[in-house]
Amino acid sequence: MSGDLKAKVEGWLDVHWDSINNRQVGTAIYDAKTWLAKVVDAGYATPTWPVKWYGLGLSWKEARVIEDAFQARSAKGWGRDRYHLGAITIFKLGSDALKTELLYELLTGPICCLLYSEPGAGSDLAGVRTRAVKDGDGFVVTGQKVWTSNAVEAEYGMLLTRTDMDAAKHQGITFFIFPMKQPGVEVRPINQITGESEFNEVFITEARVSERFIIGEYNQGWKSFQTAIASERLIMGQGITARLGGTAAEKVPALLQLAHKHGVLQDPVLRQDVAQALAYRQLNALNMLRAKGEIMKNGASSLSSLGKLAMSRIQHGEARISAKILGPQVLFNETEDALNANFDGAKAYMNSIGGGTDQIQRNIIAERVLGLPKSMDISRNIPFKDIKSG
Amino acid sequence: MLEFSGEERQAICDTFDRLLSDNANEEALRKLIETESGFDNSLWQKMAELGLTGLMVDPDYDGIGANIQEAEALMEVAGKYLYNGPFISSCVVAPALLQASSNLSMVGPHLKNIASGNSIFAIAGCGQTGDWTQPPTVNAIQNADGWELSGPAHFITHALTASHCLVIANEGGERAAFLVDMNDCLVPAKYQSTDDRTLRLSNITFHGSQALRLESVGEKQIDDALHLALIALAGEQVGGMRAMFKITIQYLNTRFQFGEPIGRFQALKHMAADLLVDVESASTVARIAAQTMASGSGDSELLTYLAAFTCADNFRKVTADAIQLHGGIAYTMEHPAHLYWRRAQTGQWLYASSDKLRDLYLLEMEAKL
Repeated sequence: MSGDLKAKVEGWLDVHWDSINNRQVGTAIYDAKTWLAKVVDAGYATPTWPVKWYGLGLSWKEARVIEDAFQARSAKGWGRDRYHLGAITIFKLGSDALKTELLYELLTGPICCLLYSEPGAGSDLAGVRTRAVKDGDGFVVTGQKVWTSNAVEAEYGMLLTRTDMDAAKHQGITFFIFPMKQPGVEVRPINQITGESEFNEVFITEARVSERFIIGEYNQGWKSFQTAIASERLIMGQGITARLGGTAAEKVPALLQLAHKHGVLQDPVLRQDVAQALAYRQLNALNMLRAKGEIMKNGASSLSSLGKLAMSRIQHGEARISAKILGPQVLFNETEDALNANFDGAKAYMNSIGGGTDQIQRNIIAERVLGLPKSMDISRNIPFKDIKSG
Repeated sequence: MLEFSGEERQAICDTFDRLLSDNANEEALRKLIETESGFDNSLWQKMAELGLTGLMVDPDYDGIGANIQEAEALMEVAGKYLYNGPFISSCVVAPALLQASSNLSMVGPHLKNIASGNSIFAIAGCGQTGDWTQPPTVNAIQNADGWELSGPAHFITHALTASHCLVIANEGGERAAFLVDMNDCLVPAKYQSTDDRTLRLSNITFHGSQALRLESVGEKQIDDALHLALIALAGEQVGGMRAMFKITIQYLNTRFQFGEPIGRFQALKHMAADLLVDVESASTVARIAAQTMASGSGDSELLTYLAAFTCADNFRKVTADAIQLHGGIAYTMEHPAHLYWRRAQTGQWLYASSDKLRDLYLLEMEAKL
């Protein structure tokens, strides 16, 4: 059965995908839109979905056969039922009418950006203040979103808005799929402390979104959002396990190379620091290998929730020790090593703040893994307009 | 060596767990540490009946012939109860050294006696530094009757309980292993005043004690035996920290202040979450190090050192924070937390300091440069 499928997919790819030039057979350059349409039409983009929604009604195991065939030829467009958050969310929560209207366009376009966090709603995401006010058959949206990747390219964003100021925090939220290419949507890159600009602020001023583009129910957006975020966490988990092939034994860790190069491996204090830093990195890699095994066996592993905390300790620690290795020369961004040490020191916050701070992660671990009682949220059961902000 | 499945290993552990639960629970431990020897021989004989004392003894000598993976798993159970019998010296290190000897007719009866519970072995591996990786402080000299040992040996566990002692001694500038009948020791061992009352430590100064040499046991075999001890100890520390952590989480859920369980306070939650990383990292590396050693693959030494200092340091960290998380109740002798915390300190120095082991790990890493 899966042998037949494998042969079929490989045959299809042989006809349509030029794996030497990484483009569609018979074309001069790779054109994403036409190629993705071809994959979607064949059902290979979302094979686990029903035929009616561009799928083949296959199991995850069978879908894996398709993904493997695509990956072996570096062909694009596979696994959109696993990785395209916008499409997955519309597939799971959208009405048939919304699916008919948007799903094909989403699947053949770039990924959606996420319009979740706001300057006043980071860790406490349900505190979003971007307003969506009913106006005719649609809504007028005004507010500010932050930490949005891919905001420039995205044609759609998944948008959390406040639609009822009198309801309690979690009850007055509506979740939209929001068209980005329209007047009133301004994207400004954020200058990060690393000197990079991976994220954007999105300023929305009286932009419009149709009532048809509500994901789930009006004012019940928090529930819909939970479904979307669950898909996102699953993707992040898959990312971790996909990157970790076979063994956790590293070749030569970069920190050790740096210490060796600068001749500090005779210093007994630095030796302890370097050794412990290498140990933390190897221990985390071993834990993630164990998590991978547990996920394969039981479908889940509580260990994967520990990786973020472990990684923060690793990254902040390695940056600190790199600076010690360089000594006062780290004050000058005149060498590659100093530049790297200073960059890494700043970049480590990406892990310990991004995707929810480590402090929020500790709450999650304590409550969901260790079973400790949930923290109180004094803003949970009062009208949203009465919640203090600042 | 025999191969055990995960289920079989679990079954042995469950049996051991029931035995310790009945015979070596906290109440029994507290009584035991007040006795002279601190050792429960009747429990040891029950372990022998179950075959546990012969765990790593070859089936040719009435043992089970298991490998370090089973020993590590059993030591996790031992650690849970702070079980203090001479398992590592008599059932892990001694069988390894004896079985490495080429003189099978000499060691055979001893192996059988270990398995049957008739003999108990102590190991003397270091001097006053407590570091097994440094040159031995006991010297071996050949005489007309065989070998005689002279010099001090320190940090010997269960010296007064043991019928025999294996001594790592200097023989012409190299390490070699010697068998001593404890009755032949001219100067008897004395228990030292340990802060950790759950584990007896002694020193012995040999003055020409008669000894038998374990033929073909040299530097490599002695290092291998030390590595087995380190992994077994790591397993014990994992068991200990898991037990202490579990007690602590239960307490956070059941102790009320300000009208709510104290586990709702983030200051305590965050400490607990951080400790979970340490507990799981230790569990993972102890088991993987044992598995890697059993399979004989190349990274075994590196993983052994990593497991050794990680489990030693994390055991101390988890038990220290456990006392703080409990508050006043764990500042009392009646509460078991200090027993775990004190045992954890012993583990940071036994065989080698965790700082030394961290350095050895780095040396293994440097070899890749």
